[in-house]
Amino acid sequence: MIRRALRMEWTKLRTVRTSTWSLACLAAFSIGPGALLVSSLGGMCPPECDADAAQLSLAGVRLSQLAVVVLAVLTVSVEYETTMIRTTFAAVPGRITVLAAKALALTVVVLAAGTVTMLAMFGVGRAVMPDGYPPLSLADGPTLRAFGGTVLYLGLTALLALGVATIVRHTAAGISLVAALFYVVPIAAQAIGDEHFREQLQRYAPMSAGLAIQATKGLDDLPIGPWPGLAVLAAYAAAALLIAAVLIRARDA
Amino acid sequence: MTYQSTIQGVRGGFGQLLRAEWTKFWSVRSTVLCLLAAIGLSILLSMFLTFNSTDANEGPHYVDQFGFVYQPLAGDGSVVAHVQSQRDSHQWAKAGVIIKQSLQSGTPYAAVMVTPGHGVRFEATFNTQYTGTAAGGPRWLKLTRSGTSVTGFESGDGVTWTPVGTVTIAGLAPTAQVGLFVSSPPNYVVEKHFAGNDQHEVPTNGEATFDNVSVRPAVPTTLPAAPGPPVRWSFADILDTNRFPGGLAPGGFTETDGAFVVSGNGDIAGSESVSSLEAPTGDDIVKASLAGIQIGLIAFVALGVLYASSEYRTGLIRTTFTASPRRGRVLAAKAAVLGSVVLVAGLIASFGAFLAIQPKLHEKGYEPPAYPYLSLTNETVLRAVAGTALFLTLLALLSLGLGFVLRRSARAITLVLALVLVPQLAGDLIPSIEAAKWMVRLTPVAGLEIQQSRLRFDTAIGPWAGLAVLCGYAAVALLAALWMLRRRDA
Repeated sequence: MIRRALRMEWTKLRTVRTSTWSLACLAAFSIGPGALLVSSLGGMCPPECDADAAQLSLAGVRLSQLAVVVLAVLTVSVEYETTMIRTTFAAVPGRITVLAAKALALTVVVLAAGTVTMLAMFGVGRAVMPDGYPPLSLADGPTLRAFGGTVLYLGLTALLALGVATIVRHTAAGISLVAALFYVVPIAAQAIGDEHFREQLQRYAPMSAGLAIQATKGLDDLPIGPWPGLAVLAAYAAAALLIAAVLIRARDA
Repeated sequence: MTYQSTIQGVRGGFGQLLRAEWTKFWSVRSTVLCLLAAIGLSILLSMFLTFNSTDANEGPHYVDQFGFVYQPLAGDGSVVAHVQSQRDSHQWAKAGVIIKQSLQSGTPYAAVMVTPGHGVRFEATFNTQYTGTAAGGPRWLKLTRSGTSVTGFESGDGVTWTPVGTVTIAGLAPTAQVGLFVSSPPNYVVEKHFAGNDQHEVPTNGEATFDNVSVRPAVPTTLPAAPGPPVRWSFADILDTNRFPGGLAPGGFTETDGAFVVSGNGDIAGSESVSSLEAPTGDDIVKASLAGIQIGLIAFVALGVLYASSEYRTGLIRTTFTASPRRGRVLAAKAAVLGSVVLVAGLIASFGAFLAIQPKLHEKGYEPPAYPYLSLTNETVLRAVAGTALFLTLLALLSLGLGFVLRRSARAITLVLALVLVPQLAGDLIPSIEAAKWMVRLTPVAGLEIQQSRLRFDTAIGPWAGLAVLCGYAAVALLAALWMLRRRDA
């Protein structure tokens, strides 16, 4: 059954224009800002300032993750809004199976697109790096962790958004909620003067914690380490999917 | 033969159109939910910040560090000096004559001085200040002590003296130290790092040349009046270790033929009196009280977009245009309904957040003297709080316009959120303050600057100019919507 469901979800994902668009946006908005930041490094920060070049070239993800959120939310919400979900459940009555198939298909697509995007970002970041700065290298453990970890970050973001969308069953509400969940702490943190409280918030907020994976320098100063940070995001995604699984069984379509 | 509708156009139909749009807006359950969420989020998230605290009021409320060329003065008398020149090391650099209780930092004083940026001033005991001539040196300065009362004078020629101010210093020691002083506060430099901002103080070195320096006791003393060698001048760096724990560069003085070259740094001031103490990273508590809006705005964006896009999703737009074929009027009616509802909701959210958070902030140490109480009767505060509602209104109109242009909620919401949320984060990441400022100036986030109540190092744009940027975005979006509505099929 899961194979059939997977095939079905894969066909849906493959054939809607949204997928192409959002993945194109993911690539463009990931690469653009990072390339801009890295290439202007010379003017902003001399080699001695010890910039975290890997993190800088990955900066666009803060923006481009919205493309992943949109894709993930639409995967579910459009089905509810067009009542396609009834057809889906008629074809595959096991609702958890449907949710799992959606999650799996989405994850594979996002991870694949994320990997391609990250490789492109790495290539671009390396190419535009001004002279005098140490070049980016994937042989460097932390750099590999930053780029590879960002792919995982995007995958977990997609799962979290999928869960939220299944809970609210509404496109606008899904996107707004995930955006609020992600951006609230990074934005609020700027207004918080109390360092201890700020770090506590950043430690347990999905985006602030998850993006710790992009840091390659000054890890001791981070509110949370790279892998524990990603685990926090994973916990959010798991919680959202769990609630979604309970609700998708409990509610009428 | 052409077909022509026989239905008469309804004159004055805009009122009805408004009513129709109002009904559509109000009767949707999720609209009401969305509005409540917007108001609730804005206020609740502002409450987040009550976890903030400040120690700005702990520790002494003054700074007292300078280079001091002194000698004791027993009883009444006066000290005179001509400030020949002063190095323009800081707008609040000070050079002048001073009478001080002792050589201890923080003890009472009275001083008359010149400053490069603020003219002649008479200041005393960290809480009293009088302004004299607006132009700085060269200037003749004189302090006269009579009991516990000290008067400062200034003069252009050393003959005609104008009083600048008088102060009574309770408990001024019978023998106080008098002489010349020079101070120059450090400059604050904020450097951006990837993890945040780093503020340092970069010392500036004040220097001034004095001549015609004299100290005259009022009562003839028993000492011989012969012009023997006057009491020797000594130099001391008065150090304020609370304020400048790391110390600044040491000062010094040289005397050649009656010309004193004195150098020193630091400042003599109370925290309320002089902005040289005001760090550019100090909290903007008006803005902080309204910080919840930065996230609450998401709900207003969704509301604006959905008011347009949901009609397309359900096909209602065709009915709407059948009932009212003039599409521009439909857009105007929607904008009017949305704008007024968001304005009211925004006022509730911003006033609610502001009023709810003030007492909490006071508990957390945001109190005078470092943070004066804020009142809504204050023009700046009122502009910030009421302006926040204007910001939300314009943002909702921008969302409405984009909702009509893009006709899909997902695209429109994402676009607006990308425009208003991401630039707020850019500051953290862009290791150049100037680039981060441009990021704010060029995006709708500029509108949030209406909340600013003090200039900080990262202030990108003035409050009204910022709102005008957002206004421009909203106008462009609505015009594009109008054009598209007329051009496209529904």
